[in-house]
Amino acid sequence: MTDSQLPRYEIFIVERPGRPPTYAGSVHASDDELAMLNARDVFARRPDCHGLWAFRAETISSRTADEALSAFEETEPAPRERYLVFGKLGHKGVPTFLGAVEASDPDEAVGRGRSLYGQDVVLWWVAPERCRLATAAEDAGPMFEPAKGKPFRDQAFYPVETLMRQLRRARTHKQERS
Amino acid sequence: MMVSPRPETGSNPEAAAEYVERLTAFEARIARGEKIEPRDWMPDEYRRQLIRMISQHAHSEIVGMLPEGGWITRAPSLRRKLVLLAKVQDEAGHGQYLYHAAETLGATREEMIEALLAGRAKYSSIFNYPAAAWADVGVIGWFVDSAAILNQTMLARSSYGPYARAMVRICAEENFHRKQGMEIVLRLTQGTASQQTMVQEAVNRWWWPTLMMFGPRDADSPNTPMLVRWGVKTRTNDELRQDFVDQTVPEAQAMGLTLPDPELRFDAQAGRWIFGTIDWDEFWKVVKGNGPCNEERILARRQAHDDGAWVRAALQAYGTRQEQAA
Repeated sequence: MTDSQLPRYEIFIVERPGRPPTYAGSVHASDDELAMLNARDVFARRPDCHGLWAFRAETISSRTADEALSAFEETEPAPRERYLVFGKLGHKGVPTFLGAVEASDPDEAVGRGRSLYGQDVVLWWVAPERCRLATAAEDAGPMFEPAKGKPFRDQAFYPVETLMRQLRRARTHKQERS
Repeated sequence: MMVSPRPETGSNPEAAAEYVERLTAFEARIARGEKIEPRDWMPDEYRRQLIRMISQHAHSEIVGMLPEGGWITRAPSLRRKLVLLAKVQDEAGHGQYLYHAAETLGATREEMIEALLAGRAKYSSIFNYPAAAWADVGVIGWFVDSAAILNQTMLARSSYGPYARAMVRICAEENFHRKQGMEIVLRLTQGTASQQTMVQEAVNRWWWPTLMMFGPRDADSPNTPMLVRWGVKTRTNDELRQDFVDQTVPEAQAMGLTLPDPELRFDAQAGRWIFGTIDWDEFWKVVKGNGPCNEERILARRQAHDDGAWVRAALQAYGTRQEQAA
């Protein structure tokens, strides 16, 4: 059986308004538009998603902290572009957007990221800004509103604790009377 | 049992020394509570065990949609239908999180799905049982999702970063699954005599299969010591199974439901519930592919895959055209 699950896209989500996008996981899709829709279905089923970024997996370069130490050498001036820099802060962290730098290649982007965003990063990811897909403000309605109308996806919707307390109280009461 | 991680170096003494050095550093990282990330060095056996566990876990989420999915069109109210749809959709999403985590270790989505459809892949034995009545949907949420939460809360502390992060996300969502199930069960226990009978029968059907869901006894789990040593798991099958029993028996008692185990009794000294012997012959029969619904489940997945073939072909053609136009 030959089958293709289509190209992979890495997905970042904004979990609270104003917070930087953090890495969520990946989806497979045949094109950019479907990647964003799949990302919404997989990562925005609940109302705590306020923005999505997606990159084709191969556009992200990854360097460990050790690799980042040796990566950056000043070389011949070359054409530069904007790179987005992500770092996993501490061993329990999640890759999180830190900021943008101008660089001629991923190693230079990591090196510049390192000098700007400090030493606590244990894993670096960089990707050219031109490769980023992002939800725009006008997409917020169709992308994120549907999750807000589904309060039943939240455990607090079910009065189970209250019902269980009532049952336990009734049982104790019955035992005391008998 | 002694754990001796398999050497991966053949007979070259220098390579062997380097391997031992790397392994020592790897185990020290785990002991410090660091998370291992995809590009970090890891023993082949750690990678192999994780791919096995995570892909089985992903398949379980995907096959897990089937027993309840059949009740979506027959849900007794619009509210219950919306809730069940949302739950089954979450399970599809959880399968996606987990396939992603396995991909970070070098497994491909194509290989994993092919293994499931070919019947080579394992998934949780529980989903090879039928959901015979509406009450089963409630009991699945209460028993099966509670059991899954106990297992997954443990795995959220796993040493492999992508797996642990997928678990954190899944656990938060599965509390909804447990609660909606308990609500169905509670309402039925307070309903008519036939509703009460229906829910008690569902409890009788699902109790033992849920206990089996935690996997073989520790004595029969050869992988457990290595998984614990490398921080993939932090608790054993038997420990988690006992936690489930201790949590669930008082809930059943409060709801006025009985559990189908005449040997069930409270050990006041240990503060734990003692339960009867699990039918391990049944467990192995289901794991080996001969449970009540194994064949039906795989056929359903194959049909869904085949029915979707034209959609994937169309998407691919459109994607290729977009790329050529760009």
